[in-house]
Amino acid sequence: MKTFDHYDAHSLDEALGLLANRCGKARINAGGTDLLGLLKDGVLPRYPELIVNIKTIPGLGYIEEDGERLRIGALARLCELAGSKLLRERYAVLCEAAGAVAGPQIRNVATVGGNLCQDVRCWYYRYPAHLGGTMECARKGRGPCFAIKGDNRYHAILGGRKCFAVCPSDLAVAFAALGGQMTIVSPRGERKIAVGDFYSPLGNGLADDEIVKEIDVAKAFGPGRQRFLKFTVRKPIDFAIVSVAAVTEEKNGVFANARIAIGGVAPGPFRAEKAEEKLIGKKPSEALAAEAAEAAVEGARPLSKNGWKIEVAKALITRVIGS
Amino acid sequence: MSRENIESRNEPVAGEKLIELRVNSQVYVLRVGRGPGELDPAHTLAFTLRETLGLTGTKVSCDKGACGGCTVLREAEAVLSCMLLTIECGGKEITTIEGLKDAKTGALDPLQQSFIDHSAFQCGYCTPGMIMSSKALLTANPSPAEEEIKEALSGNFCRCISQYQVVEAVKAVSGKKG
Amino acid sequence: MAQPYRYIGKATPRKDGLDIVTGESRFVDDLKFERLLHGVVVRSPHAHAMIKSIDSAGAKGLEGVRAVLTREDIPDFKYGNPRVFRLLDRKVRYVGDAVALIAAESEQIAREAAGLVAIDYHVLPAVFDDYEAMEPGAPQLYEEFPGNVLPLGDPFLGQKSMVEIRTGDVADGLSEADVIIAGKCGYDNLPNPMPMESPRVVASWGRGVEGRDCVTFWISNQAPYLMKVILGAILGANLDVRVFGGPCGGSFGSKLMSWQPMCYAALLSKNTGRPVKVVYSKEEHLGSFVLRPSSRLDIKVGMKKDGTVTAIAGDWLIGTGCYSQTTQAQVAVGCGEAMIALRCKNWSVKPKIVCTNRTASGIARGFGGQELKCALFPILSRGMEKLQIDPLDFMKKNFIKPGDGYLWRDAQWYDYRGISFTAMMDRGAEVFGWKQKWKGWLTPTSVEGAKRIGIGVGVHGNADVGEDVSEAYVRIDSNGSIVVHSCLQEHGTGQRSNGAKVVAEVLQTPLEWVSMTPADTMVNPFEFGPFGSRGTYVILGAIIRAAEDARSKLFEVAAPMLGCAASELDTADGYIWAKSAPKRRVRWQRALFQRTILGYGRFEPDYSLSNCLMSFVEVEVDTETGNLVLQRVVNATDVGQIIDPQGLAGQLCGCLGTAGIDSAIFEETILDSSTGRILNANMIDYKWRTSSEMPTIDNVVFQTPMPTHRFHAIGVGEIATAPGPSAVLMAASNAIGAWLDSYPVTPCKVLRALGKVGNAGNKQRAHTARKRGAGD
Ligand SMILES: Cc1cc2nc3c(=O)[nH]c(=O)nc-3n(C[C@@H](O)[C@@H](O)[C@H](O)COP(=O)(O)OP(=O)(O)OC[C@H]3O[C@@H](n4cnc5c(N)ncnc54)[C@H](O)[C@@H]3O)c2cc1C
Ligand code: FES
Ligand code: FES
Repeated sequence: MKTFDHYDAHSLDEALGLLANRCGKARINAGGTDLLGLLKDGVLPRYPELIVNIKTIPGLGYIEEDGERLRIGALARLCELAGSKLLRERYAVLCEAAGAVAGPQIRNVATVGGNLCQDVRCWYYRYPAHLGGTMECARKGRGPCFAIKGDNRYHAILGGRKCFAVCPSDLAVAFAALGGQMTIVSPRGERKIAVGDFYSPLGNGLADDEIVKEIDVAKAFGPGRQRFLKFTVRKPIDFAIVSVAAVTEEKNGVFANARIAIGGVAPGPFRAEKAEEKLIGKKPSEALAAEAAEAAVEGARPLSKNGWKIEVAKALITRVIGS
Repeated sequence: MSRENIESRNEPVAGEKLIELRVNSQVYVLRVGRGPGELDPAHTLAFTLRETLGLTGTKVSCDKGACGGCTVLREAEAVLSCMLLTIECGGKEITTIEGLKDAKTGALDPLQQSFIDHSAFQCGYCTPGMIMSSKALLTANPSPAEEEIKEALSGNFCRCISQYQVVEAVKAVSGKKG
Repeated sequence: MAQPYRYIGKATPRKDGLDIVTGESRFVDDLKFERLLHGVVVRSPHAHAMIKSIDSAGAKGLEGVRAVLTREDIPDFKYGNPRVFRLLDRKVRYVGDAVALIAAESEQIAREAAGLVAIDYHVLPAVFDDYEAMEPGAPQLYEEFPGNVLPLGDPFLGQKSMVEIRTGDVADGLSEADVIIAGKCGYDNLPNPMPMESPRVVASWGRGVEGRDCVTFWISNQAPYLMKVILGAILGANLDVRVFGGPCGGSFGSKLMSWQPMCYAALLSKNTGRPVKVVYSKEEHLGSFVLRPSSRLDIKVGMKKDGTVTAIAGDWLIGTGCYSQTTQAQVAVGCGEAMIALRCKNWSVKPKIVCTNRTASGIARGFGGQELKCALFPILSRGMEKLQIDPLDFMKKNFIKPGDGYLWRDAQWYDYRGISFTAMMDRGAEVFGWKQKWKGWLTPTSVEGAKRIGIGVGVHGNADVGEDVSEAYVRIDSNGSIVVHSCLQEHGTGQRSNGAKVVAEVLQTPLEWVSMTPADTMVNPFEFGPFGSRGTYVILGAIIRAAEDARSKLFEVAAPMLGCAASELDTADGYIWAKSAPKRRVRWQRALFQRTILGYGRFEPDYSLSNCLMSFVEVEVDTETGNLVLQRVVNATDVGQIIDPQGLAGQLCGCLGTAGIDSAIFEETILDSSTGRILNANMIDYKWRTSSEMPTIDNVVFQTPMPTHRFHAIGVGEIATAPGPSAVLMAASNAIGAWLDSYPVTPCKVLRALGKVGNAGNKQRAHTARKRGAGD
C-alpha cells in the first residue's frame, strides 16, 4: 500500500474539517475492510493523501430505539448488529443481513456506515494495478463499461446506465426494505436521504466532504414478518448474486403491508414496488408469491450473460413471500 | 458548524506521533514516520507484526481480508491483521499465535496441543489463523456446537482441507464435547 | 487387519507439529536475512505485444531502488519444454507477463518503482481460445511453433515418451460395438491449485567455498533437489546451485514451475550483491502463475452391452497457455492413466498441445490424467446411458486387473503387477449406499420440491506411484542418534515425519531418536520430490533401504562383539543381540564407539503398479435457482498398508480443494475474452470452499499388502482430486434429468440445461429486451 498521512479524528467536526481541507484527497476509514482493499489494489483514480480514522470519534456506535425510531450509529459494527437482541426481535432483516456479510473476522471490525458506503465489486473496476495496470472504465470517469461487452454474469439486470456494477452492500437491502434513512453531515449541515435513494449507477450520493452519521428506521408498521435471503456461490466470504429482504404484515389473513427490496441486481437496492402492490389485500399463497416474483423483475433488462439472475431473483422472492 | 471553525483545525504532521502497541502482553513503542524501522501510516498490523516486531507466526496469504490467514485477537475478538492499520491499533491488546503459550511455564494452550493430537493441519500455513479463530470462539463460547465451530472458522481458508481435523481438534477441547 | 508394527499404521504426532501450532515454523517469508532486498516484477498490461522501448529512469531515480533490470541487462535465459521460453523477452504473451525486474529496500518502494517504468508497446492481436489458436491467420505466439502447436514428448521421461494412445485396431473395435458415441467435452475452466502460500523465493548470489560463483536459494516448493537441477541447467554449468527447502505452504505440484521467480531473485541478487526476496502477491499468484491445463476431447467410443469398451478414437486438445514446462509430461501420464482406468483394446487418441495468450498451465494434482478423464467420462456416460449400464459396474469392470497391462509415460508396455480393486470398490459403494440411491441415468435419487438429489461416481489410478529416482542416507551417529539424509521437503503430506517413522520401525528405536536433515541440496543425495503419489513407495522406499543398509552395517560391526554372524542379529531400542541368545545384548554405543554408520538407499523407477481411488458423490440441485450443494463424498481406496492414518485422512479429504472436486462446482479462472485479463485473480472472486460448507466425507481404506517395499504400502495423496469432478457432473445430470457437460456446474448452466434461460445465460426474451436499448 502506498503511503498516506493519517489522522485520528476525535469529533465529527474535526473529521469534516479534514475532509474539507483536502478537497477530495482525504478519505474516511471506518472498519477499513473495504477501503484497504481499494488502496492496496491501487484502484481509486485519486489515491488519498490523508486517511481520517473516524473510529476514534466517541458515541457513534449505538444501536437503540427511541420512541418511534430505531437509530444506528455509523460506527456500529456488523457483529453488534448480528448479535443485537433488539434487532433480532424487531428488525430481523437487519440482523440477518449483517450476519450474512463476509466472515466473522470482518464482521468484528466492519461498520454499518462503511457497509453502506463501500465501493462496488465489479471485477473490471477492481482489477489490480500491479497485474498489468488498472482498467480505466466509466466508473473511474474514463473509458467504457467493460461489463457491457465482457463477462457480466454478476452485473446489473436493472437500472444500470453507463456503469453496470451492482451495489454490494447487504445492509442496504435490509435498510431499503425497512425504509431506513441516512443522516449525512457536511460543513453545510445535516441532510437525510433514504437508503434506497442513496445509490446511482456511477457511485453513491456522498460528496467528498460528507460523512454518514446515522441510519434510522421509522416504525412504520409492526415487526410483522421479516426475512432476508442471500444467494451466493458459497455462503461466507461472498457477495450476493441476488438477495431479497422482505418486511410484510398480515391483518385478517391478508397482506396489509409489504416492502420488498432486492440486492445484487441494480446499482442500489431495488424496491420491488410492483410486487408489493400485487400482495396488498391478498391472501398469502404460493401462487401469489410467484405472481409477485414475476412482477418484481418485470422491468429487468439483462446483459449478455446475466439473464439467469432473473430466475434466481424470482425464486428468492417466491420463497421469501411464500413460505 | 461554521466554515472558519473547521479550517482553523490543525492538519496532522507525520513523524511526531508515537504508537503504543500491546502485543502478547508486551508494549512496543513505534515512531510514526517513513524511515526504516518507523511505522508508516500505511503499514498494516500484519506487516508490523511480521516485519517490524519479527512475529512471523501470523501468516499473510491474500492480504485482502478474504483468507483469514492473518487472524489475530484484538481484545479476545478475532480480527484480520492485514485489514487493520497499525497506526489505529494502539491501546488495544493484540494476541498472536506466539502469545498463546503460557508466558511463564511455556506450556501450550490446550487448543495447540489438540491441533497436534489431531494432526489438524497439512502444510500448516493456515494453522495459526485457524487456531486464533478457534481461540476467539472458545473464549466467547467455551462449549460451541459443531455448527458454531464451523461458522467461527468460515473465514479461514485452508487449501489442503484440514478443516475436518480442525473441527475435531476444537471439539476435543470445548466444554461440551460432540 | 492385524498390525504387526510398532509405529506403521498408528497415529503418531507430526514432527513439525509443535512448530506449526506455535507459529515457529519458518516458511520462506519468515526467514531473516541481513541486508535483504525485495524484488518485484513489472508486468504487461497487454496480452500480446512487442516491447518497443523501456524507460526505467524514473524507477531508478526513486529513493531506495537498487536495481532495475530489463531484457538487455540479463543473460538470455531460456527454459521450458521445448527450451525456448525466455525469462524476459522482446515480446509479451499474456497480461501480467514479465517485462522488467526491480529490487528495492522495501516491497512498498519496489512496487511504487514498478509503476514508474515507462514501456512503449506495439500491441498485437491476441488469441485466447485453444481452437481459435490453431486456425489459419490466428495470432502466432512463437516463431518456433507455427499454428501455435507445441511438440509433444518430454526428455525428462526418457528416450521416448508417450505422445499418443495407440493400440489395436480402432476400426475393428468400432465394428464390434453395440453402440458408438461421438462426443465432445471439455475440462477447460482452468482451476488453480492455489496453495495458500503464494510462490516466493530468496536468492543470494555470491562466492562459494572454492571461489566458484554460487547461488543459494531458499524456496517454497516441493522439490528442492529438482529445482537445483533445473536452475543449474538454466543458470549455467559454471555455477554452484544450492537450494534450501523449508516448510512449504502448499504446492500441489504447481510450484515446480518456480524457475521464473527463482531466476528473477537470482539475477537481482547478482546485480545488487545482496540477497533478494521475491514474493508473489495473491493476485500475481492467480493471475501470472500456474493454472491447470485446459483439456478438450473430441472422440468416438465403441461400447458393448456388457460394458466392454471396444474402441476409443479421436483428438485430445490440451491448452497450455503462454508456455509449457511439464504439459507434455502431463499428456504422457494422462494417456497412461486413461489406459489404467479403461481396459480397452483399441485406442487411437491423438493429443495436441496448443499455446494461447494467457498465463501458463502446469502441474496440478491429478497431473494430466484428471484433465483427460474429466473430459472423457462425461462422453462415456452417454454410452452407458444408451446401454443402461450402471456406471459403478462399468468402472469396476474396466479398471485395471492383474493380467492386464498398459502403456506408460515412457511409451513402454508394463504388465500390471498389482491387485484387483473390485472388493474395495464394492465396499465403497456399500458405505455410500450406491445400490439404494442409483435410480438409473438422468434420474434423480429423490425429489423434494425444487430440490433434487443426484449421485455420481468416478475412478482414477496412477502408475507414477513408482516414478523416478529417490536416494537417501541413514546415518547412525556414535551416540546412537539417527539422521535421515533426504532432500524431502514438507509440503503438507507429513512425509518427512513418515520418513522418520519408517526408519524407527526398521531400526526399532523410539521415534524421537530419528531426525531428518533439512532439505538442503548440499548435504542430501538426489531426490526427485514428492509428486504423483510417489512419496510412499519411492521416497519412503529409498529411506527404508537406507535404514536396512545401516542396520546391516551396524550388525557387521557388532557381530564380532557377539561372536556370531551379522545375519543372526536383531536390534531394538539401542541394543543388539543374537536371535538365538537374546539375553546377551550389546549397546549400540559400544558398537558405535568412534564410528558413524552410513546406510544408503536408492529407488529405481517401477511403473508396474497403480494406485486406485474411487469417489462417490451426492449432490443436491435446486432447480429454481440452479444452486448445487455437495452433500456427501465417499472415497474408497486400497493403500496396501496405512503409514499414518491422520495423514492419509488429510490427503483424502483434500479431494475437495486444490482444483479438485470443487473445479466441477465453483472453481474456475475467468478470462476476459477481449482483454485477456484474469478477472477473478483474488480470493473473493476465485471461489473456494469454506468451513461452513464441508460435505460429509467417508473414507473407505483397504489394506491389501502391495508388492512394493517392506511395509507393502502405496501412495494415494496426489490422485485424491482426480475422480471427483466428473462424478459431480454425472450426479448433477442425474439430479436434474438433463446432461450437463461443462465445468463448473454453475447455477446459470443448470438453469440453461433445464431450459429456464437461453444459451448465453439469459431468458429467451432477453434478446428483445436488449434491442429495446439496454446494455450500452
Ligand atoms: C472478504 C470480504 C468479503 C465481504 N463480503 C461482504 C458481504 O458479503 N456483504 C457486504 O455487504 N459486504 C461485504 N464486504 C465488504 C465489507 O468491506 C463491508 O461489508 C464492510 O461493512 C465495510 O465496512 P468498513 O467499516 O470496514 O468500511 P471501510 O472500509 O472503512 O469504508 C468503506 C468506504 O466507506 C467510506 N466510509 C466508511 N464509513 C463512512 C461514513 N460513516 N461516512 C461516509 N463514508 C464512510 C470509506 O471512506 C470507504 O470508502 C466484504 C469485504 C471483504 C474484504
Ligand atoms: S491475509 Fe489477511 S485475510 Fe488473507
Ligand atoms: S494446512 Fe495447508 S492451507 Fe491449511
